[in-house]
Amino acid sequence: MNHFLVMMLFAALAAIVFGVISKDTNRERWVYGVKVFAEFIVIGLVLGWILYFIP
Amino acid sequence: MVKSERLQAESVEAASGSAWLIGLAAWFIPGAGHLLLKKWGRAALMGGAVWLSFFVGLAMGGHMFDLTPDVATSGSMFDWSTMIQVPPMIANLGSGIAYVVCWMMDVGFRDDPVQAARTTYEYGNTFLLIAGLMNYLTMLDAFDVAAGRKS
Repeated sequence: MNHFLVMMLFAALAAIVFGVISKDTNRERWVYGVKVFAEFIVIGLVLGWILYFIP
Repeated sequence: MVKSERLQAESVEAASGSAWLIGLAAWFIPGAGHLLLKKWGRAALMGGAVWLSFFVGLAMGGHMFDLTPDVATSGSMFDWSTMIQVPPMIANLGSGIAYVVCWMMDVGFRDDPVQAARTTYEYGNTFLLIAGLMNYLTMLDAFDVAAGRKS
């Protein structure tokens, strides 16, 4: 399993739990879960590129 | 405390004994709290996420923490440096029965240099820690539902 897939799995699992516990309606849960998932991925990629340029 | 906060605090009823038991069950067996509350979807999603995270962490060669000192290096049965293992141990303990069974069978607790050299070792550690922390959230959610504080 490569690093990106591991990060996606981690983000998906965390997003499921955060989404389910945080909101009241199913629609809100979906939206929040997808948002958390996207945030994990985007922030992970940004941090990865920042670290890439740091020797 | 302002008046509105006091009124709000007073309106929250004390949790019943069954809510505490459901909270305990939710911690001990991830997903069991919501199963007892007949919240099938939440049990499958949240319990499934915790179990999957735990087993993926183990499969990656992750390491769990306890308070056992390394007698070979410390030379005694108590070592203050083991105190640094308390926070991750609390996180690992959140996995409930999975942690207890692994601890009893000595799976995932040994300090093995070969295991630590695996590329996925740190990922495994993180998945194991997160499994426990997510189960604490699951447990609190089950408790709140059982206590009538949340639907």
